[in-house]
Amino acid sequence: MEVLINAIPYLFIAVPIVILIINNLLPASVTDKYGVRGGMILAVTNFAAAAVEFILLAASGKNEVRFSIFWDYTEKISSNNGAYINAAYFRVNLITLFLMACIGIVMFASNLVAEETVTKKRGSYLNAIITLTLGMNGMLIVTDLFSLYVFLEIVGISSFVLISIFKTQKGLEGAFKYLAMSSFATILILFGLSFLFMTNGSLTYESLKSLTIKPNGNGGAFLSYIALAALTAGFAIKAGAAPFHSWLPDAHQSADTSISILLSGIVIKIAGIYGLIVLTDLFSEVYAIRLSLAVIGVFTIMFGALLAMRQKHFKRICAYSSVSQMGYILLGLSAGSKLGLIGALYHIFSHAVFKSTLFANAAALHERLHTLEIDEMGGLGNAMPTTSFSSIVAFLSTAGIPPFSGFWSKLLIVLALWGSGAKVLGGAALIISIFTAAYFLRLQKKVFFGVTNEKWRTVREVGGSILAGEVVLTAFTIIGGVAFPLVLLLLSGIGLM
Amino acid sequence: MTGLFTSVAEFLSRPYMFIAFMIAVPALGGVLVWLLRRFGAARFIVSLIFALSNLFFAASVYYGGGVNTSAPFLRALQLSFITTEFSAMCLFAAAVLFLFVSAYSLSYFKAGHGGVFMLYYFISLAMVNGALASDNIGMMLFFWEGLLCTLFGILLIGNLNNPRTAIKALAISGTADLFMMLGIVATIQAAGTVSISEMSSLPVTKMGALGCVMMLLGALGKAGAMPFHSWIPNAASDAPTPFLAAFPGSFEKILGIYLITRIFTDMYDITPGSAISVFVSIVGAVTLFLGVGMALVQKDMKRLLSYHAISQVGYMILGIGTALPVGIVGGTYHMLNNILYKSGLFIVAGAIEKRTKTTDLHNFHGIGRKMPATTACFIIFGLSIAGLPGTNGFFSKELIFDAALETNIVFYILALVGAFMTAASFLKLGGAAFFGRLRTPDGIDENEIREVNAGMLTPMCALAVLCLAFGVYNTYPIDTLIGKSLKIEESFSGWPHSSTLVIISCAVLAAAVANHIYGTRHNGGALNAVDHIHYAPGLKQVYAVAEAGYLDPYRWFMGAVNVFSAACTWIERGVSWIYDKAVPGIVNGVGNALRQYSNGSLSRYLITALVGLLALIAIFIAAIR
Repeated sequence: MEVLINAIPYLFIAVPIVILIINNLLPASVTDKYGVRGGMILAVTNFAAAAVEFILLAASGKNEVRFSIFWDYTEKISSNNGAYINAAYFRVNLITLFLMACIGIVMFASNLVAEETVTKKRGSYLNAIITLTLGMNGMLIVTDLFSLYVFLEIVGISSFVLISIFKTQKGLEGAFKYLAMSSFATILILFGLSFLFMTNGSLTYESLKSLTIKPNGNGGAFLSYIALAALTAGFAIKAGAAPFHSWLPDAHQSADTSISILLSGIVIKIAGIYGLIVLTDLFSEVYAIRLSLAVIGVFTIMFGALLAMRQKHFKRICAYSSVSQMGYILLGLSAGSKLGLIGALYHIFSHAVFKSTLFANAAALHERLHTLEIDEMGGLGNAMPTTSFSSIVAFLSTAGIPPFSGFWSKLLIVLALWGSGAKVLGGAALIISIFTAAYFLRLQKKVFFGVTNEKWRTVREVGGSILAGEVVLTAFTIIGGVAFPLVLLLLSGIGLM
Repeated sequence: MTGLFTSVAEFLSRPYMFIAFMIAVPALGGVLVWLLRRFGAARFIVSLIFALSNLFFAASVYYGGGVNTSAPFLRALQLSFITTEFSAMCLFAAAVLFLFVSAYSLSYFKAGHGGVFMLYYFISLAMVNGALASDNIGMMLFFWEGLLCTLFGILLIGNLNNPRTAIKALAISGTADLFMMLGIVATIQAAGTVSISEMSSLPVTKMGALGCVMMLLGALGKAGAMPFHSWIPNAASDAPTPFLAAFPGSFEKILGIYLITRIFTDMYDITPGSAISVFVSIVGAVTLFLGVGMALVQKDMKRLLSYHAISQVGYMILGIGTALPVGIVGGTYHMLNNILYKSGLFIVAGAIEKRTKTTDLHNFHGIGRKMPATTACFIIFGLSIAGLPGTNGFFSKELIFDAALETNIVFYILALVGAFMTAASFLKLGGAAFFGRLRTPDGIDENEIREVNAGMLTPMCALAVLCLAFGVYNTYPIDTLIGKSLKIEESFSGWPHSSTLVIISCAVLAAAVANHIYGTRHNGGALNAVDHIHYAPGLKQVYAVAEAGYLDPYRWFMGAVNVFSAACTWIERGVSWIYDKAVPGIVNGVGNALRQYSNGSLSRYLITALVGLLALIAIFIAAIR
């Protein structure tokens, strides 16, 4: 068992690299045909490895598993001033394993859709997917902020490539906007890191955790505050939180739908939210971070919802909905309690699943109608029953209707806010969720209900892997909701709640 | 016999036995009768068996020393039934009346009809039994409301498409029951217990006053006193005659007067001349005066009788309301008499309706010769209600007169005028319907007017005999039934002790006869005998307004409700506007503005992000302090 626990984490790095090598050794004619399958294998291994490791780790009662690749992480290294410091190490813990499992789920769903929508350049597509996965896995296993930043850049660059991979006008434009905004985020994060490095001399989580930033301190404290503000803003840009959200709808709308699933489903959470999770964990004493997260969260929910209500493009509505839902996750983090963290993580899962479902619906609709303007649709519920049903389940989960998973995660977040004393915020979160229901009701009504447009008389249900993706994701949403009491039992069993 | 009664009463005192045999069994009987509704003889026999068994149990409770049982139900509720002698007496009276009225009802309805009516009637009996015997005041409310439900159900039969009367009855009785609920809550608060047997002479102050007044209002509403009366004349037009005999004629009177008497005699400490007493007396006097005033001018038999049902309850309430022993005994005695002769009168009306197919007095005349037994019964009932010396109605009325005079002469005068009009209206009714030249309704042959069958005649005659017996042997009802059960030492039986009052009463009756003779000659015909009063200057307009229903409190109330609902509609429209127009307008406006702002320009995005960064820094700096 011990061997297994220690061995599995290597898979998160090894499997992408091995598939990457195989993909580039094989002739282009083969990879263009089977590239997406490679992505599926990667997704399944990532999910399976994360799930198995999660269970083993939870059962063993340990907090984390440390590992390294080419060096001995138990070694002590002498530093400049003669003292010894610990060598760098990778680690996985329950939180990162949970997120890795989410990566696996979304990646799998994305590849199921890609099987239909990505018809050329599958080899290059697979390369970008692998580096994206490697980047996200890397972000989750590193133990210092600078490495985090490096993997963040890998994630970012893979995303730009994926958005613009087919070199369409819109794709290039969306990728460029993302690139420009990401550069801004890069500047802010590097700026913040350098300030932190100036004050602390190290960027490892261990040393930063022991760093105390006194609010009424000297100039160093002031610099640290500026650094933290810059870091928060940087990660907020990556997460697509208001008012830094503007790149997100453009990028998600213009990308291929399978890539939209990846971006909306998981990338913004790993690149943005995970960074903020690390920040709130390291600087749990600094009230300003939580305060700013709460402010950003409320604004994000509102802006996202208000904007989603006035859009006419299916994917754009979903993208703005992602913005809005990011706000809930931020609010959960802002509670600063374990319950809030669990709520945020579970909402990451819920959102990953239901937003992937909605984008898969978009893919299905695009496959059949070749348009995603909702004004042209209507009454498609009869023609496409599975798509319609999965879409309604996803919408109900988004709106936080029991018994779907979105209900539980939102409930945990509201409870955490209430419990941490931010009762106004909790109430606000509840009230604003009406908007969520509003914009998705509008979407559902215009797309699946009402009078069938004459143009779509002959439309049939989508088939193949998109349908499979919808079914699998809907099953996740329902199971994640109905079996949530079991999840709670598990969490309390391993002492997380 | 007494030994048997005692052992049965002891049996009923065992846990769950009362609820099984006096509540569940009647309800079961109702179901059986309903199932057998197509078989005329079978349902009659089954109904008779159940009515007789109920009578036997009720008699056992009364003669066997009452029941005292308490059993847990669903852990939380105690099913406690404790009868006092008075409630046992009321149980007994209800059982007797049920026997007669159910037999009559089954003869009234042809086979295949009236099944649902009988089902409801049996359930009503169960409810009345429960309400009379309940010791837990909340449980009493349950049975009390149960009676309201069956009342509503019965009124709905045959009027499903036009349930106006049923809704009116439900609204009015429901309002009264609402008062009742409030009163019960306040009474529990004041007494600190839910058990009626533990409430004795509660002071009528603060919470107690509220509880007393509200419970009295509820009980007055059940008895049909003003202003809770106005559905009864409507029911007289819409509902079958057995309903009138069953509900306004007997059950509601028993239950309403039972509770009023309980409130006056043991639950609350009400002294003669206190505000509560005066209030109830006024309600009684007004009810009797206005009720009989309306009855006087009715030319439909059922409507006339229904107004008398209201007016007679006024006498009872006036008597009890004085809070004098003589008044309480008189009022209660009047209640017993009234359920006998008023149910009897409704039965007579039903018998006539059976033959003439109408109750409108314009349509027939002088059918007495053809229906001699019915006529004889009518005469007995009519004389009793009019209060001819020697009849039971005379004795109870004299006691009430006595109490009214002792309280205030105004009450006495109103009661006397009431007596005059009662006598006059029955003279009119009798003169028109039974005596004089025979005239049958259009399309009905003379030979079709004949005596009704034994099923109807027997209850009628039995009630008439009871009426006579209650008059002649008034010692038994006054002293044994009422005096002993209410623990009133003084004896009021026998001939009224004040000869002056008797003489005045006789003079009033003589005046009524004179008036009738004058009216018959002057207005042409017995039916129009009181037209000179009806169309007297001043009174004519009052009657016109009253007949048109403008004096109906229900009508005022519904008017107020309409105004209120109009106001609510306006408010609701305003609120809807906010939801339908204002909020979506704001949301869409903001959404559109934001959408136009994010127009795809990268520089704008960057500037927005920069502003966001500055805001974040501001938050952090603000948090430093």
